[in-house]
Amino acid sequence: MRDDLKVGVFLCECGGNISDIIDLDEVRASLDVEFVGQFENLCSLNGRKIIRDAIFDHDLDRVVVAACSPISHEKTFQDYVKPLNPYLMDMANIREQCSWVHSDKAKATHKAITLINASIEKVKQSDAVDPIYCQTPDEVAVIGGGIAGMNAALSLAKQGTKVTLIEQSPSIGGHMAKIGKVFSPVKIAEECGMCLLNPILNELVWNENIEVLTNSKVIEAERRAGTYNLIVEKSPRYVDTERCIACGKCKEVCEVEVPDDWNDGLSTRKAIYRPFGQSYPESYVIDMDNCTKCSSCVKVCNMRAIKLRGRPERIPLQVGSIIVATGHKLFDMEKRPEYGYNRYNDVITQSELGRITGVNGPTKGKLLKSNGEVPKRVVMIQCVGSRDEKPDGHRYCSKICCTVALKNANIIKHKNPDTDVVICYTDVRTPGMFEKYYKHTQENEVRFIRGRPGEVVKKGDSFIVRTEDTLKGEFIEIEADMVVLSTAMEPSDGTREIAEILNIGTTEDGFIKESHPKIKPVATDVQGIFVCGTAHDPKDITESIMQAIASASKVSEYNYGGVEIEPFIAEIDKDKCILCGDCISRCKYKSMSIQNDEVYIDPMACTGCGKCLVGCGQKAIHVNGNIDEKILATIKGVLSNKNDDERMILVFLDNIGYTAADNIGVNRLSYPESIHIIKVISVNRVRPNHIKYALENGADGVFIGEFPGDLMYDEVERKVDRIKETLIELNENPEQIMFSKVYIPYFTGLARKLTDFDKKIEELNL
Amino acid sequence: MKLIPDKDILLFRSCLVSVEYPGVESSTKFVFDKLGIDYAISEKQTCCTGLGHYSDVFNQIDTSAIGARNFKIAKDIGRPNLVMMCATCYAINKKSVKLLNKKDDLRNHINQLFEENGLEHLKYEKDDLLPSENIFHVVDILYGKISEIPKHIKYDLSEYKIASHHGCHYCKVHYEDTIAGFRDPNIIDELIGACGCKTIGWYDHKRATCGTGFRQRYSNPDLSFTATADKMNALDDEEVEIVVHLCPNCHIQFDRYQPLISKREGREFEAIHLNIAQFIAIAMGGDFDKVIGVKAHTTPIDSVIKELKEVEQ
Amino acid sequence: MTSKQNIDDSPIDFAEKIIADVKNSKEEGVLKCVQCGMCTSTCPAARHSDYNPRDIIERVLEGDISILEDDLIWNCFYCYTCHSVCPVGNSVCEVNQILKQIAISNEIGYDKLYEYMGFADSYFTAAIGAIPEIFFEDIKNDVPGWWEFRNNLADIRDELELDPPLMPPKEVIDEVSKILTITGFKDKIEKIRASEEAKQ
Ligand code: SF4
Ligand code: SF4
Ligand code: SF4
Ligand code: SF4
Ligand code: SF4
Ligand code: SF4
Repeated sequence: MRDDLKVGVFLCECGGNISDIIDLDEVRASLDVEFVGQFENLCSLNGRKIIRDAIFDHDLDRVVVAACSPISHEKTFQDYVKPLNPYLMDMANIREQCSWVHSDKAKATHKAITLINASIEKVKQSDAVDPIYCQTPDEVAVIGGGIAGMNAALSLAKQGTKVTLIEQSPSIGGHMAKIGKVFSPVKIAEECGMCLLNPILNELVWNENIEVLTNSKVIEAERRAGTYNLIVEKSPRYVDTERCIACGKCKEVCEVEVPDDWNDGLSTRKAIYRPFGQSYPESYVIDMDNCTKCSSCVKVCNMRAIKLRGRPERIPLQVGSIIVATGHKLFDMEKRPEYGYNRYNDVITQSELGRITGVNGPTKGKLLKSNGEVPKRVVMIQCVGSRDEKPDGHRYCSKICCTVALKNANIIKHKNPDTDVVICYTDVRTPGMFEKYYKHTQENEVRFIRGRPGEVVKKGDSFIVRTEDTLKGEFIEIEADMVVLSTAMEPSDGTREIAEILNIGTTEDGFIKESHPKIKPVATDVQGIFVCGTAHDPKDITESIMQAIASASKVSEYNYGGVEIEPFIAEIDKDKCILCGDCISRCKYKSMSIQNDEVYIDPMACTGCGKCLVGCGQKAIHVNGNIDEKILATIKGVLSNKNDDERMILVFLDNIGYTAADNIGVNRLSYPESIHIIKVISVNRVRPNHIKYALENGADGVFIGEFPGDLMYDEVERKVDRIKETLIELNENPEQIMFSKVYIPYFTGLARKLTDFDKKIEELNL
Repeated sequence: MKLIPDKDILLFRSCLVSVEYPGVESSTKFVFDKLGIDYAISEKQTCCTGLGHYSDVFNQIDTSAIGARNFKIAKDIGRPNLVMMCATCYAINKKSVKLLNKKDDLRNHINQLFEENGLEHLKYEKDDLLPSENIFHVVDILYGKISEIPKHIKYDLSEYKIASHHGCHYCKVHYEDTIAGFRDPNIIDELIGACGCKTIGWYDHKRATCGTGFRQRYSNPDLSFTATADKMNALDDEEVEIVVHLCPNCHIQFDRYQPLISKREGREFEAIHLNIAQFIAIAMGGDFDKVIGVKAHTTPIDSVIKELKEVEQ
Repeated sequence: MTSKQNIDDSPIDFAEKIIADVKNSKEEGVLKCVQCGMCTSTCPAARHSDYNPRDIIERVLEGDISILEDDLIWNCFYCYTCHSVCPVGNSVCEVNQILKQIAISNEIGYDKLYEYMGFADSYFTAAIGAIPEIFFEDIKNDVPGWWEFRNNLADIRDELELDPPLMPPKEVIDEVSKILTITGFKDKIEKIRASEEAKQ
C-alpha cells in the first residue's frame, strides 16, 4: 500500500550549480512518479508557492526535493511542504554529493538518478509525526550555598525565576566566609572576603524569588520529561529561626564546649551556637551530636525559641532544572603523615592560616603560634596531595594553592615584616595577571625555594623541613617554627553523594563531569542538570562566579525557549515489557528509568540511537519514525538502479560525518562516483541485517564513519568488528567493510579515505 | 582490606634468618602454631637471590628464573601462598611474580630456557601466582590474626620503651600492598599493640632505611653506618629500649653493628633488637633459648628484658 | 660552559632504553620526572654523600651516558624511599639498578662486583646466598662474638629444633646450578672474575 503513495519530485537547477553537470532532462525522463518539476532556484521564496501548488494539484502524499544538502535547506523545505507533515519530505543531495564532486556528466547524471530513487523509496516509508514540544517547569533547585550556588541562585532570581537554594550546613556562605582575605591581582591588594560576600548574602536573603533551605540535603531524585521530583530532608535546627533574635544568651549558659569547625578547630564553640557573625539564617542552632539536653538554654531563652525535640522533615520539590554547586573539601592530611600535621600544633593548612590571620578568627587576626608567640620563620609546602600519583594523592593541580600561598605570605609580611616566609614549590602557577602578584610577593621579601619537601620533623622547639634546593642541587634542612601546607582541593562528600543521587557522571577524581570540556562547560551528562564552582573542578572565586552565572543562563535558555524535540525517539510497549531493566543501563544517554512500575524514556534525553532495542529480549522497545525500514528502503533504492559494470559503495554517516562529506563538495574536491552516502540519525542504527542485505544485493563495499567524540563510538566499532567476524565465518571477505573515524574539518582526509576504499574494493573485485 | 590467607602457606626460608637469627624462624613457627596457621617448609626451596640481586651480581632474568622454580615448588605441594620472614625475599619474589605475569617476553624467554634444557617441569604459566593474593610477609599473616593475638599473651612487656623499624623492602617496594601505611609505616606498631604494649610511634627517620644498603655495608661502611647512626641517635633521643624489626638484614645492621656504631658516634646505644615474631613469641611465653634463639644476638636480650611479668588476668 | 644539541642528537634514547628494560615497573615514569627533588629530600645517600637521585634522572633525560661510569651511582642503598614517594611515579631506585646492569653489560663496574662473587659461588655450592667469605675478617673485627656464634650455629639451630638443615639436597643444588648456567649467569661471573684477576 505504501507503493501506491503519490510522490512528487522537485528538481532544482541551483542556478547551474546542478544543471551544468547533471542532465536534468535525462533525470526527469527516468523517474516514474506522480509528478516531476524542475526549477531554477527552489529555495527562493517562489519555491514555497510552486511546491504547495503542485502538492494540491497532484494530490501528493510525499515529496522529494532533489537539490542541495539537507544540512543547508532541510528546515526550509520542511516548511515549504506545509500543509504536508514536514517528515513526509526527503532531500536527495545532488549538489554537494554529486554535481560538486564529480565531473563526468554521464556518470554524475546516473548517480543523481540513483540518489533520487533512493529518496523516493525512503520517503515512502515515512509517516507523519509531530515534533515533541517540551516545556519544563520554571522552578530551579540550586544545591549548595557557597559562593557559586549563591551567585547562580541570585542570577536566576533576578531574571524572575523561583529558586530553592539547598544548603547542608546551618548557614549559607561556604568556604568564602572562612577565608579571611581575598586578593586582587590587578590592584595588587588583599581585601576583606567577608565584606565582598556580605552584600551578595544580603541581596540573596532579601530576594523574594529565593527560598533558602539550610540544614537540608537532597536525598531522592526522579526525573520525568524535564521535571525533577526531589525529596529534600531538612534536619531540625532545634531553634526556631522565626523567634530567635540571636541574642546569644543561650550560649552563655551552655556548658558543652567543642572544637569550632568554622575556625578549622582552632577555637571552641558551645553546643548551641551561631556558625559565624554574618551567618544566615540569623539564628542559633544546636549541634545535637554534642548536646547533653541539659535544658539550660531552653530556660534562659526569653524568646522561647528553643525546642530540644525535633525530627527531620521531608520536603518534596518539583523543579525543571538543577544547578549542582556542592563544592569541594580539603585533602585529609592523615594521608601524608610525613609532614606531621597530626603530630604538631604548628604544622597547619593554608585554610587554618586563613582563620588565624582573619580578624574574625581565633586570634583576632594576630599571627601567633600555638604557644602565643609570633613565628620567626614560616615555611609553606606546596602541592600537598596535588600533582601526586601516589595512593590517595591527586594527579591534578589544585590550581588555587599557589596564589593562596602568595596571598597568605603577603599577609604575614604585612603583619610581621620580620617573619621570614619561605615557599617550597615545584612550579609557581600564576597565569595571566596573577604573575604580577607573584612579583609583588617577591618584592615583599618572601623567599622561594624550588623543591618538594620530603618530611617535617621536630627538633627541640623548632621544625626541620627536609628538602632539596633543586636549583642549587643541594639537600637542605630548613629550620622553621611554623609550617603551612597547601593542601589539595578534592570533591566534597556532598558532591560525591549528589552525583550518585542524580546519576550524573563524574571524572576519575570524583568531580562532576561536564558534558564537553571545551564547548559545554556547565552542562552535565544529564539533561537539565548543570554544574558550577568547585564541584566541577578546582577553581577560584572569580571562576566559580563566572561558571555560576553561565549555568544560570543555561537554565534560562530552557525556561524561555522551551525545547522542541525531533520525534524519532524510543518508545516502550508496556504490554511486552517485563521490567527487567536491562535497557536502562544500556542507554548511554541515561534517558531511561523505572518510574511507577514502568520503564520511562525521557524524550529530552533520548537521541533515538537504538542501543536499547538490541538488548531487549521481549522486543518491547521500538524507535519511532520507521528508521529501520527507511534505511532498508534507501539501500534498496540505491541498488535498484545499479548497472552491471557499476561499482557500488554505500557510505553510512550521521550528521557529523555527513557535514564532513558535504565539505568535500563545498571545497570542490572529488571522490569516485561509486560512493553513495546515506545519512542516518545515528550510525548505530545501521544493523547487521542492513549490511547483509546490501552486500547480498549488489553493494560492493560498505563504509561506516563515526565521530570519535560520539558516545556511541566504541559501541559502533565493536559492532563493525562483530559483523566482520560473521563475514569471515561465512567465507566472505571482511575487507568489504570499513570503519573509520570522521571529523568535520578533516574532509580532505575523508575524501582520501573514500577514494582509497574505492580502489581497494576495485582490487577485491578483480 | 585484602584477603590474608591462614592456610596453604609455604613458609619461605631465608638465608639470613637461617645463618644469623635462626630464632626468627623458630619464633615464627611458635607464633603461627599458637594462632592455628597452616604452613610448611620445603627443603627444595632455595634462596631468593636477594642479597646478590641487590649487589647487582644477579640480573632480573637470573632472579626471576630462580623465582619461577620456587613458585613451581610452592604450587606443586599445594601451598601457593608464599610467606616470607625476610623483607628482601618478599620484595624480590613479589617483583618476580609481577614481572613474570606481566612481561610476556621475560616469561617466554625463561620458559624457553627451561624447555631447551630439560627443565620443563619448572615452566611458569601466566598468573600461576598472583602478586597480591599469594605473596606475603609474616607480618601480613600475623595482621590477619591480630584479633586472636591478645588471647595468647602471657607476659606483659608494656613497661619497656618500644619502637618499630619497618624494613624498606616490605614497606616501600610494593607499597600498594603494604598494610597499615608506608609513608608512616605502622604494621609492627599495631602488632605490638595487640600484645598489650604501646610503641613510641613516630620518631625522626622512622621510615628511613636501616643503612645496610646491601653493598654499602661492606664496600662503603662509612656511608652505611652514618645512615644507621641517624636512626640510632633518633631512637636513643627517645630512650628506646627495644627496637622491633621485620627483616633479618635490618636486624644484623642494628644488632650486630650497634657496638661499632656506638664507638663511631661516641654514644652508648643500648637498645636490644627483636624480630616482631620474636617479640610476640616472648609475650606468648616462648623459651628464650629454645624458641627465641637469644644466643644468636650480639646485644644480649637480657640486658634489657631481665625478668618477665605475667599479665594480670 | 656551553653544551650543544645537534639536530640529529636524540637524548631521549637513553631514557627509552631504561624504560624498555625488563626490570622497569614504572612504565614511562622516568620521562615524567618534574625535577621536584622529593626523592633527594628523603634519600639517605643524598644526605650523607654527593649522590643526588634527582640529578641521576636529570642526566638520564639529558642522554648523558657518562653516568654509567660515575662512581656515585654505586652509592644508592636500594632503599626504595624515592620509589615510594615520587609524585609522578618514577623510581630512581629502579633506574639506578638498570643503569648498573647496563654498565655491567658494557663491562663497566666489574671491580665493584668482584668482592661480591661469593654470592654467586655459594649458589653453585649450596644454593644459598651467603655473606661472601671475603668479608668475614671485617665482620670478625667489627662484631664482637660473631665468629664464635657462627661456630656454634649448628648447636643453636639444634636447640631451636630447626629442620630441615641448612644445606639443601644435592638434586636441588644441581638444578639451581643448571638454571644459573642457562641464563648466562655463570659465564658472566667467570668473565668478571677472569677480567678482574687479570688486572691484579
Ligand atoms: S535561641 Fe533564644 S537565647 Fe538563644 S540567641 Fe536565640 S533568642 Fe537568644
Ligand atoms: S540543652 Fe544542649 S545546647 Fe542547650 S545548654 Fe544544654 S547542652 Fe547546651
Ligand atoms: S596550584 Fe600550585 S601548589 Fe597548587 S597544586 Fe598547582 S602547582 Fe601545586
Ligand atoms: S534510543 Fe538510544 S538514547 Fe534513546 S533510550 Fe534507547 S538507548 Fe537511550
Ligand atoms: S621525586 Fe620523582 S619527579 Fe621528583 S625529582 Fe625525584 S624522580 Fe623526579
Ligand atoms: S633507593 Fe637509592 S636513590 Fe632511592 S632513596 Fe634510597 S638510596 Fe636514595
